[in-house]
Amino acid sequence: MGKTIVCQCEDVTQGDLEDAFEQGFRDLESLKRYTGLATGLCQGKCCIAHAARFLAALKGGDEAAADPPRTRPLLQPTPISCFAGPEELSASPASREGQK
Amino acid sequence: MARARRLDRSSDNPYPHGEQVEFQYEGRPMLGQAGEPLAVALLAGGVRIFGRSIKYHRPRSPFCLHGHCSGCLLRVDGLPNVRSCRTALRAGMQVERQLGWPGSGRDLFRTLDWVYGERLDHHSLLTSSGTLARMAMGFVRKMAGFGHPPTAEPGPPAPKRRMSVPAVVIGAGLAGLHAAVELGQAGHRVVVLEAEELAGGRLCDASCKLAGATGWAARRELLSRLSALPGVELRLGTPALAVYGDQAVLQVLAAGPDETLALEPQRLVVATGAYAPLPQFEDNDLPGVLGPRALDRLVCGHGVLPGEPVLIAGDAQETLELAAALVERGIALAGLVTDRPEPELPAQLRTAKVPRVAGHRILRARGGRWVQRVELAPAGRETPDLVLDCGLVAAEAPAAPAFELAHHAGCRVVFRSALGHLVQTDAEGHTSHGQVLAAGHCAGAGSAEEARLQGQRAGLACALGLKDEPGLRQRLAALKA
Amino acid sequence: MRDRADLVIIGGGVVGLSLAYHLARLGFTDVVVLEQGYLCFGASGRNGGGVRQQWSTEENIQLMKESVQMFRRLSSETGYNVWFRQGGYLFLARDAASAQGLEANVKLQNRCGVPTRLISPAEAQRVVPGLAPAGIQVCAYNPTDGVLFPFPAVWGMARAATQLGVAVETFTRVTAIEARGRQIVKVVTDRGAIATNRVVNAAGAWSVQVARLLGVELPNKPYRHEILISEPLKPFLDPMVSDLSDGTYFSQTMRGEICGGVSDPAEPSSMETRSSLRFLERMCRAMVRVVPTLANVRVMRQWAGFYDETPDGQPILGRVDEVDGFIQLHGFGGHGMMLAPIVGKLAAEWILRKADHALFQRYDLGRFKRGEVQKETFSIG
Repeated sequence: MGKTIVCQCEDVTQGDLEDAFEQGFRDLESLKRYTGLATGLCQGKCCIAHAARFLAALKGGDEAAADPPRTRPLLQPTPISCFAGPEELSASPASREGQK
Repeated sequence: MARARRLDRSSDNPYPHGEQVEFQYEGRPMLGQAGEPLAVALLAGGVRIFGRSIKYHRPRSPFCLHGHCSGCLLRVDGLPNVRSCRTALRAGMQVERQLGWPGSGRDLFRTLDWVYGERLDHHSLLTSSGTLARMAMGFVRKMAGFGHPPTAEPGPPAPKRRMSVPAVVIGAGLAGLHAAVELGQAGHRVVVLEAEELAGGRLCDASCKLAGATGWAARRELLSRLSALPGVELRLGTPALAVYGDQAVLQVLAAGPDETLALEPQRLVVATGAYAPLPQFEDNDLPGVLGPRALDRLVCGHGVLPGEPVLIAGDAQETLELAAALVERGIALAGLVTDRPEPELPAQLRTAKVPRVAGHRILRARGGRWVQRVELAPAGRETPDLVLDCGLVAAEAPAAPAFELAHHAGCRVVFRSALGHLVQTDAEGHTSHGQVLAAGHCAGAGSAEEARLQGQRAGLACALGLKDEPGLRQRLAALKA
Repeated sequence: MRDRADLVIIGGGVVGLSLAYHLARLGFTDVVVLEQGYLCFGASGRNGGGVRQQWSTEENIQLMKESVQMFRRLSSETGYNVWFRQGGYLFLARDAASAQGLEANVKLQNRCGVPTRLISPAEAQRVVPGLAPAGIQVCAYNPTDGVLFPFPAVWGMARAATQLGVAVETFTRVTAIEARGRQIVKVVTDRGAIATNRVVNAAGAWSVQVARLLGVELPNKPYRHEILISEPLKPFLDPMVSDLSDGTYFSQTMRGEICGGVSDPAEPSSMETRSSLRFLERMCRAMVRVVPTLANVRVMRQWAGFYDETPDGQPILGRVDEVDGFIQLHGFGGHGMMLAPIVGKLAAEWILRKADHALFQRYDLGRFKRGEVQKETFSIG
């Protein structure tokens, strides 16, 4: 007991955030990787905002220091069987040319 | 601590409830109402601990009840890690808890939480000796992971379909529904994706008040307007999973109840709302501590009260209205922790003489398997000077807009300390991505009124992007004034 | 930031950091490592952590044998647990050519002391529960291969090198490298300049851009490589499974997630790091083909990194003709993580002239001009 939980998926505590900052992990991408927050089953819905506030506050209120980490699909865990069917959903890779 | 009980439901309650059905919980029969979320049925049946956390084996229980957090994960019909707040109860369901030895209820591995009272640093764990680390690898591996692999026999893969549509709106909340109404009225075809089985978002909350009307009344009115528009297709239970922008066309991936969809819209309105983060105090994850909207949904919506009296903490208007809604339903309040001055409180709270605690914050929650009391301290102090007994807690936390899907598309997302990460928009809802608009709480709306207005503007701007019409331009200009 | 250094390493990925770490262990610490982002920003933080000794050339097999031993020691050396778990690697061959390839490789690997065995699909089912045997001709299984957690390998080497006296500068982008004649004089970054005569190009997918700052053209091409991870589950899959027919590979991490990728012959060379729906579909199909019961497992997250590819599938190591003191350490395809320990160590010895390693002549940039190319055929996962 006696823990303040930041990310309940991965059991990341406020103490973990403070330790990570102390160890030099001082951007949101690094904080995420070092503590594991936002990498569990909720993918950061419940913890990224707090981690951002923590970081911005320690960096003298610098809001730019708390830009969100790269957001990765999927928004929620979804069975492989939803995507494994034979039909092709994706646009053809060739159409990527010229978009650069 | 009071036992869980079911409340009477008012006739205007939008939440579904069906006949009584029997299901199996940890090998024992239990009763619930068909169609209600499994998590709600379990709370009504007196279940306190839904499982154990992954590292310290702390008790877990529903916190958000909106399909976002990991508090309500269970093993259901041979599938692990199922969000029971998003799973409708059916007769005969087999439900088990996850993690813990000998079980989740009494779990000896909970001692890890006490042994590592401060924290357990897995990065330095077992690094003093390579041999020791290799020996312990098997044990550590067994302890890691969450549910056991699925045992249910997989069915055939879901059918998949590509769909080209002029407009897609993600989220059938206040902003999304208003955007869809504007698009529909302008004569455009629009698909609205909603993850939940119930449209309305915040309009489903008893604490929601919009222009004097209750959220439930506003919801009925809005949905009836929407159903009169032939171009609007509302897809419930169909969460948007991703927005892919690496190809020439923008694709929105969504998983419907029976099929997987790749929608290819010319314009996309993101109206994904916001999440309920954990409020920050010691043992904030104790079962019985919920987000305010979760408590609203559970008690006022589903009519299930798992504990009493209720402690409410927060300053938002919705939080105060939630306290008032509970008082209206005859539920005892342990207190209202708020810095809002007395005259700003809803009338019911003043007449019911609900104890108001000002200038304090929650320092820690106490209780073994379920919250029994909270300790409060004056602002800036670390020692409590007030202890309130309670059987349920709803505590507000700073906002966390659901920015992810817009971020997938490449829209600029900015951080504001007061508002969280939000999708950056102009006054019409345009994001930094030419095809994507955003509205509502994900774009920084602070109130229901603001979300509605943003939704209308984004809907109109989206319609104008599809086809320029002077009438729409005038209406948009009027809404911006 | 230091304004001068004996050696500047461009690229704070696992290859550059391994070099820095091994230089420091040999007492050479006047080194600055420049990383454009956070630690783990590039491919080192985006890979699946596979470490295998099943290769098709004796040289690579011997190198990887060394790397495996080094990974076994890395956690206790650096104080960061890399969770290196030797659950084996299982290769599946579905056609005669792949089967013959496996057979030849296993013989070679056995000669090098790697205990790989050819096993039947039925035996493979005992290693991978739920494996669908239909269509599989033969499998190669080496129980001493494994997977690790990439992040702490990067952090550990960075911290160990820093503690020994090396400077690791993150969020520092190289904007120019100045030379006088054949001699390098200075590396310019967005945070200031560093006077130096020696530069190591360990920039992975960005190596071409770095080399171009000195007018050196590299044949490398970056390719997006995508990967996904499932919900965390209790352990049920021990080895990395790799299907040679389509380049699928997946294993279970120490956190319980199934993590893997699949190669895509249609992927054009680019610096694209966005995820694609195409990969999600291809990977899900591929996983279900290998282990049908995975259909009920949920996908949690997908992301992309780079393969830094060379024309012959071998890295580019050593000097260049055009400039003195410009050392190349890149082109590792998808194998930078697994090769980093041994390559970093050998490069440190070679740079400090403690030992001469033929590697740095055989795999230099000049080989493409000389036409001395031996292709590694086993570049998967």
